[in-house]
Amino acid sequence: MNFGKNLTRGIIKENPTFVLLLGMCPTLAVTTSAVNGMGMGLATMVVLICSNVVISAMRKIIPDSIRIPAFIVIIASFVTIVGMLLKAYLPSLDAALGLFIPLIVVNCIILGRAEAFAFSNGIADSFADGLGMGLGFTLSLTVLGSIREILGVGSIFGHALFGASFEPVLLMILPPGAFLTLGLLIGLINFLSKKKA
Amino acid sequence: MNDLKLTVSSSPHIRANHSTASIMQNVIIALLPALAVAGYVFGVWALALVAICVISCVVTEAIIQKLLKKPVTINDWSAVVTGVLLGFNLPIGAPWWIAVIGSVFAIAIVKQCFGGLGQNFMNPALAARAFLLASWPTRMTSTAYIPVSDTVTTATPLALLKSGELASMPTTLDLFTGLNGVYGCIGEISALALILGGLYLIIRGIISWRIPVIYIATVAVIALVAGQDPLVHIFSGGLMLGAFFMATDYASSPVTAKGQIIYAIGCGLITMIIRLIGGYPEGVSYSILLMNLTAPLIERFTKDKVYGVTKAKKEAKA
Amino acid sequence: MENTEVKAKIEWGVVFKLGLILFVISAVAACLLALTNYVTEGTIAAMNEQSNIEARQEVLPEATSFEAVSEADLADIISAAGIASADELPEAYVGMNGSEIVGYTFKTIPGTGFSGDIEMLTGIAADGTISGITILTMNETPGLGANATNPEFKDQYQGLSATEEVAVSKTGVSGNEIQAMTGATITSKAVTDGVNIASAAYQQLVK
Repeated sequence: MNFGKNLTRGIIKENPTFVLLLGMCPTLAVTTSAVNGMGMGLATMVVLICSNVVISAMRKIIPDSIRIPAFIVIIASFVTIVGMLLKAYLPSLDAALGLFIPLIVVNCIILGRAEAFAFSNGIADSFADGLGMGLGFTLSLTVLGSIREILGVGSIFGHALFGASFEPVLLMILPPGAFLTLGLLIGLINFLSKKKA
Repeated sequence: MNDLKLTVSSSPHIRANHSTASIMQNVIIALLPALAVAGYVFGVWALALVAICVISCVVTEAIIQKLLKKPVTINDWSAVVTGVLLGFNLPIGAPWWIAVIGSVFAIAIVKQCFGGLGQNFMNPALAARAFLLASWPTRMTSTAYIPVSDTVTTATPLALLKSGELASMPTTLDLFTGLNGVYGCIGEISALALILGGLYLIIRGIISWRIPVIYIATVAVIALVAGQDPLVHIFSGGLMLGAFFMATDYASSPVTAKGQIIYAIGCGLITMIIRLIGGYPEGVSYSILLMNLTAPLIERFTKDKVYGVTKAKKEAKA
Repeated sequence: MENTEVKAKIEWGVVFKLGLILFVISAVAACLLALTNYVTEGTIAAMNEQSNIEARQEVLPEATSFEAVSEADLADIISAAGIASADELPEAYVGMNGSEIVGYTFKTIPGTGFSGDIEMLTGIAADGTISGITILTMNETPGLGANATNPEFKDQYQGLSATEEVAVSKTGVSGNEIQAMTGATITSKAVTDGVNIASAAYQQLVK
């Protein structure tokens, strides 16, 4: 019943990147291409779903006073597992995301959802929340990565879009490009949502 | 800040007989000598590039203000000044679309996104130059151009200085007038023309002497200490253009006298650090942008003490 | 909190219970991690080894097998070649084809890049020419310095002499020179530094 609502909430209305402004470090740092953005989003989503489900399942066992260390242990374990799996089976993505895989541990979205949602809701709802938030995060990072890749490299998911005469806006794949794109997108989303209201 | 009932700022107060439009018109008049030199040395394309920048800036400003349903203020001439300054910061080899994109970035992102005239936190023309430089470095660094031996691009004097190729350095007099052989962006080639324009602005009371004079003096002193020719350093690169016309931007430089001194020394210091030990040959634009960001902080620490306030604080403590 | 005079009383029972719960969670997590590590360890090691061999083969295609130069020998080479720091030359391999030595590969890390270290591999054939280079990891600016991984840039080193220093030219190339990447002179110089470190080591190795 609430499942659908929990699922869709993270995608648009409470989009972790554009509305909640959580997890800015990976958002700004890895979105140099659509593939990197999507890969980071999906890796985060896997960790988020796993940690949400496990924390929700264990919410009766974990005492309130030690919930944060318990969350961290659970999240860090999943991140390490995902990291090892990526290294072993998807080495090219691992090379592209590099340092940011272990940094998923400190992504505020994961700890934030554990604290705000999974710890006080059922397993199915937490799963839906993790999936929705994960999808929202993946979507935002893919959009950001696509815009930056189109303008900064002239390609999308590695496929060249324009002829050889196109001179890409290098700045867009440099750090300032991340801030500019994110700022303008947040502005646009605020503008649109205000208009609707 | 704005909702305070009384905002007392120290000098320079804009005098009542200067409206924004008249200030901006004066700035343009002051830029004309340099524009004339650019036309004489580089030919029509230099004037065309500046014109493209001006038109793009004004059109962008009008469109953005229309879209945001704000009053359209293009007749305050500020967009024209931004356009001219941006044009002056382009290399002669720049294609037309670089001028257009730079103008849109300067007006739409740097100026209007932050609230329009007077609200921009850094100089729009310089920010656009930094944007263009980071985006198309090869196009933007092919700045120098010697027309005498047609379409030969060569390194700027500062680049020559950095790589130690002193044999091909122009004479100091050539650097000063910029009339024989040219080395740099469209508007920065003639120190003489820029100084004339700067003096005009100072005499008309549009800008204070503090920022340009102290900025240039700092550069000269550091060059002297580092054992290099101070005249070469002050006459080459974008220093004159930056010191007189861009570091003095009202919105992004401090208003207090003490603040302006700190700001100008900071500009000179960063310029010389970049020129002497940085990766780039020229540092004027980055140093002004960096100091733009510190302007509010400098202002806060150099605000004149209002009489009685300190005493009141002490009493409150006791 | 309101009454600060009451001394905090430690309830040892609760502390032990909390500790135990945290211990159990950590123990389970550790078991899972160990399990994943057990499953992936072999694959990761094999993959690393494979990619190392591939990289060495890329820069020295004639070799079919590689033998590492021992650490003691490497240290001697580093001091004899006047290489500033041992960190700049972490690995060297002798490339073999059957029992014949066909060349050498050197992993070098020149510290002179634009942003961070550049880890690269240089192959030098037995006749003293550079057989190829490859960049293993770098952090240079995308679109500028990062173009060093493009064949147009790195293939320039092929065939240059390793018995003298390679130089960087911004305009025309003559002799033992490479053409710098436009807008990325610093990276071009750093990669060339890496090649020159390898050349210096090569000269010591064949002495």
